[in-house]
Amino acid sequence: MLLTTPAAAKLYKADRNGVAWGQHTHLKVAEGATLEWLPQETLAFNGSRGEQTTTLELASSARCLGWEVLALGRPVGELPFVSGHLEQRFRLTRDGKPVWIERQSLDPMHPRFTGRWGQGGCSVQATLWAVGLEDEAAAIEALREALPASPRWAVTCREGVLLLRYLGHERNEAWTLCQQAWQLLRPLMTGLEAQVPRIWLT
Amino acid sequence: MSTDAMAGLPAQEDLALLGLLQLVSPALPIGAFAWSQGLESAFELGWVTQEQELGEWIDGVLEDGLGRCELPLLVRLQQAWAEGDAPALDEWDGWLKATRETAELSDEDARLGAALLRLLRSLELEPPVALMPQAPGYVTVFAWVAHQRGVPPRQTLIGFAWAWLENQLAVACKAMPLGHTAAQRLTEQLRPRVVEIVAQALERLDGELGPILPGLALASAQHETQYSRLFRS
Repeated sequence: MLLTTPAAAKLYKADRNGVAWGQHTHLKVAEGATLEWLPQETLAFNGSRGEQTTTLELASSARCLGWEVLALGRPVGELPFVSGHLEQRFRLTRDGKPVWIERQSLDPMHPRFTGRWGQGGCSVQATLWAVGLEDEAAAIEALREALPASPRWAVTCREGVLLLRYLGHERNEAWTLCQQAWQLLRPLMTGLEAQVPRIWLT
Repeated sequence: MSTDAMAGLPAQEDLALLGLLQLVSPALPIGAFAWSQGLESAFELGWVTQEQELGEWIDGVLEDGLGRCELPLLVRLQQAWAEGDAPALDEWDGWLKATRETAELSDEDARLGAALLRLLRSLELEPPVALMPQAPGYVTVFAWVAHQRGVPPRQTLIGFAWAWLENQLAVACKAMPLGHTAAQRLTEQLRPRVVEIVAQALERLDGELGPILPGLALASAQHETQYSRLFRS
């Protein structure tokens, strides 16, 4: 099953009362099932405050491929992300056991927002995961060969979870990278070619 | 009170301190010197090119990495060893494995854990099999030694952070390269930060745990394909 969203999720400045938003995705994948979670990007505008969590519960033989793309500020000029606070959390369990836990905390006031160990001043980030590939090493090799080499993305695999991460400034670069990775990984995972959902083209 | 009994407590404290110094010494034969935790990649990417940038990188990883992950976990793991709480040991060891961002960071923790465990076996100091998680990581085994030696938790954290700091600076001396006097200058600058981060780590609640190192994660995954390298992470 493939799930996507019709448009980018837009997060605006918190109201005067400072009410924060929350976006919580909780997906369960049963034995033998395959889930593709490919939402369009989240756009967080200056001053927005909130938390985005992605919780994935996989049965031991379940397969899952998904991504989250997060872009800060406005794509073209205007206000950069100078205030606000975003928390992004991922938690993936297999057979009830956590195998991937990750978080991002985007706070323009904290040194990590510009520090290289942290966000490095980047305004766009993407995280793609794939679980249930037969040959992860071969999948990684294929990705490194097919996708244009750049210091802005890298792929790895640990605890049976393949992870591709992007840190940069271009929403389109992140999106294209994720889409290309999906088109390459999908046949390896399901034996079926990837077909771009029509809703992305509208 | 006899003079022997009065001498007993300080002697135990001294033995615990020596046990900690032994555990965090670069002479401990577990091969820690072979791992850079993404730092070698940060040099290659041009992210860290001089002393000040190195200081910022180490300071950042200390706060957003160790301070939110290894250090508060040491508190929990040492307590679990002390209480003989096998489910807690299993849970926190598993949590650490789930938070390792890349293949190399995962490998580092697993291999150092296995090497320390082998050493403990040959010294007949290994943890009881009934309590031990499967293939425990370095932090988990480190916490056992600290418990077994009677090291107070705050000092366990200080010792762990110190060993890490020394190792990061040794990596920089070899690969950056950083001068040895500059390394001591950074040590002087970061010493108070270690104390501060340890104090924070002791207070962290479960919901606040988890490293926030997106740049380091990217650098570490880039390191897998780095052409010329001295270190295994």
